[in-house]
This record gives sequence, structure tokens and C-alpha cells, in this order.
Amino acid sequence: MYTLALLNGGLGTRVAAGQPKQLIRVNHIPAMVYPLVAVDPLPEVTQIVLNYPEGWREEIEKLVHDYAISTPITYVPGGDSRHDSVRLMLPHCQNEHVIVHETARPLVTTEEFSALIASAHENVSYMLEIPFTVAPVDPDTRRVTGYLDRDKLRNVQLPQKFRLSTLEAAHEYAREHDLQFTEDATLCAVAGAEVYFIPGSDRNFKVTTKTDVKLAGYLLGAEGTDD
Amino acid sequence: MTKTMMVTGASKGIGQATVERFWATKNDLDTFVLLARKSTEFDELREHLMAENPWGKRFFHHEIDLNELDEIRALLPKVMGEVGSIEYLINNAGYTLPAPIHEVRFEDFERTMHVNLYAPFVLTQGLLHAGNRFEFILNIASTAGINGRSGWLTYSASKAAMIAMSQVMKEELSIYGTRVVTISPGRCATALRRTLAPDEDPSTIMQPEDVAGVIELLASDHGRFVDSQNLVVRL
Repeated sequence: MYTLALLNGGLGTRVAAGQPKQLIRVNHIPAMVYPLVAVDPLPEVTQIVLNYPEGWREEIEKLVHDYAISTPITYVPGGDSRHDSVRLMLPHCQNEHVIVHETARPLVTTEEFSALIASAHENVSYMLEIPFTVAPVDPDTRRVTGYLDRDKLRNVQLPQKFRLSTLEAAHEYAREHDLQFTEDATLCAVAGAEVYFIPGSDRNFKVTTKTDVKLAGYLLGAEGTDD
Repeated sequence: MTKTMMVTGASKGIGQATVERFWATKNDLDTFVLLARKSTEFDELREHLMAENPWGKRFFHHEIDLNELDEIRALLPKVMGEVGSIEYLINNAGYTLPAPIHEVRFEDFERTMHVNLYAPFVLTQGLLHAGNRFEFILNIASTAGINGRSGWLTYSASKAAMIAMSQVMKEELSIYGTRVVTISPGRCATALRRTLAPDEDPSTIMQPEDVAGVIELLASDHGRFVDSQNLVVRL
């Protein structure tokens, strides 16, 4: 069985002023509702650990109630960074396996969660090919320092799944080495775990800017249906 | 998997014809929740369903005036206790008392809005809050909600609002995979039509059974191909 650890804690400033990033609404529905609704019907997911930005617990519990999410939810305050938010959720995860997702990816589907669960490996992330070229640079001198082969790079997406003990060990490794990661697949790999990827969808993008919110709303609305 | 259909205004007209059509057909709907005001027609419908039950289906019935929104709220936990879930909801019940603006009693305007607009809202929202996941919601509006006619102010306003509400529900509930369908019947031989057009010969216009046939098509797998817009159903 799986616990969904749903990142919902950071105070975002990139999208809209005055609200934590994750309380952004897409087509007027809070972005956090979409992944909750997508995962709720799955029998394999028996617990959701949901973190909340400081001061928002009541509002978030009301949303969970209004949208009648039936999977039991454990509420955990968000940390100072994304890395810490995941770490703080781990002691509350009651299942052997954990799925990590973030509410800033509202276009995730039930089928994507199912396919991740069905994947034969224990530690798996959705990842996308990179359709453009990235270059290693020195930001201070603005000097281009070399070359990266994009065929050997992937855009890391969520959701991801891990054996809980693997994720715990990786976070312990990061603590010992004073490291902070922006996501957990590369953290686990660096800490020595076997981590695999399955190809993701470009629809499941991270809603970060106002343009992203508009695009997500378009794709989720009736206009996004191909004629 | 067996499924449940709730029909409001089940005792007469399009509601009754819809219940009878789905009841008499072999399909995956085996439980019906019938809501209507107390009436001899409602008694007769129940007797008829019990007498003619070729597929071994069952129904629960509740005598309720949909003007009383608190009664709807109180009823929902009871209904969920009886049937567990409602996959198909047919918001059919309608009320009208035609009057030109100078003669409209505000209380009557309120009753019209309660029955035709707020009751479907309270039912749908209450069931969503109870964790119900609908497969199919059919909201019955009216061509009166598209074109106004002298004397139909309250009814037309309520049905125009129903059309708009239904379009919004269609978008919002798509995250659950719920199909929300709006139909607007034109003149149809119902008791409500008799109130709107007392001098008309009912045998010359569309019958409730015709609309029930369209509802059956819309609820079928083929329905998704014709449900994108408010569907006008008329002769």
C-alpha cells in the first residue's frame, strides 16, 4: 500500500501576490484539489500526507471537506524548503511505499498515478525528454563552460514513488552531508539508491507562472478539447 | 455493478415517463430514488412499478416539496443511507405559475426559483459533499429559458439560470468524469405545459415519452456525442 505525500507547503511568490502558491486556483478550483481528486479513487493509496503553509490549515481542511476527499489525510506543516517539507512528512507516512507529488502539478491524472504504482521498480520518477539544448555556464563570469548531451538528460517531473526506507535513508544522507535537493529522485540516486524513470507527459507541467495558470486552465476546460 | 438513478418530479410528465422507460428496460440501473410531492399520481406510479417489474428492480420513494430546501438537506443523508451512491441524477421537477410582471407575487417568483433552480443545486451540492461521485447528471431546462414569452417571466428566468448553472456544472464536475447534460424541451404535453398554455390540445404536441426516449439516448454510451450543448428537444 501507498501513502501519497502531497507537497502543498511552500509560500510561493512567483504566481500571485498575497496567497501561498499552492492555493492558486485553476479554473477557479484550487490547484490542490485536482491531484486529491485524481488519487482519491485508487485503492492502493490508503493515506495522504498533506502539508500546509503556516496559517492555512483551517482553509485547507475545509477544502478537503467540501470536495469530499475520502482517503484519510494527515496534515503536516510545511518546512522552510521543499527538501525540508518532504523530510518533515516522512515520519507521518504509514505505508511501506510513498508517492511524492506536488499540488503545483494539477494536470496529473488518475491513470498516471496508476501507471507509476504498476511500475515494476520501487523507486521511480516520471521524466520527460528535453526538447531544447541546455549549457553548463559560470553565472558570475557568464562564460560557457562546456557541453551537456541532452539525450542523457531528463526533465524531472512528479509524481515519483519510493520505498519509504529508501527515501528516509536518502534524507539522512543529505542531512549528514549538509545537502539540499530540489526533488527526491536525484537525491535518492546520489545517496546510492537504484532509481528509474518512466516517460511522463508534457501536459503534467508545473504551474509556476501566471501564464502556466492560464495554460492549465485552458487544457482543463472545455476549450482544451480538440475539435 | 448496479447503479442508482434519482429522479425529481417523478410522479408526472417527463419525470414519470423517464422512470417508466428506465424501469422497463434491461440495463445496469437497478435502483431508483423517486422524489415528488404527495399525490394520487405518485401513488399510482408506485403501484404500477410494483405490478410491472420484469427485471427485478427496486425503488425508494420520498414525498417532498422541493420548495422546502431544508427538507432536501435533511433528506439526503437518509437517501445515501438507503442506496449508498447515486450514479444518475435527473433534475426534472419544475414549477410555474405564469403571470405578467405587474401581477407576479414575489413569493411565487421565489417558489419558482426554489423548485427549478435552488433545489437541483442543493441536491447536487449536498450529494457531492457527501462524497457521491455522479456518472451522469441531466438538468431539464426549457426553451422558455432561451426565448421569453409574455407571462413567463418567473419560469423563463429560472430556466435561463438553470441552463447557465448546468453549463458551469459540466465544466466543474468534469474533474470527476461526470457527464452533465442540459436539455431544453419545447412544448410537451405535461401538467406544467397545461398551466402555461391552457388552450392547447395536448395530443398535438410532443409527449413526455418522446423526451424520455431522448434522455435514454443521452444517458447511453452514444449520448456523449451529442451532449456538448444545451440540447433543444422539440417537435
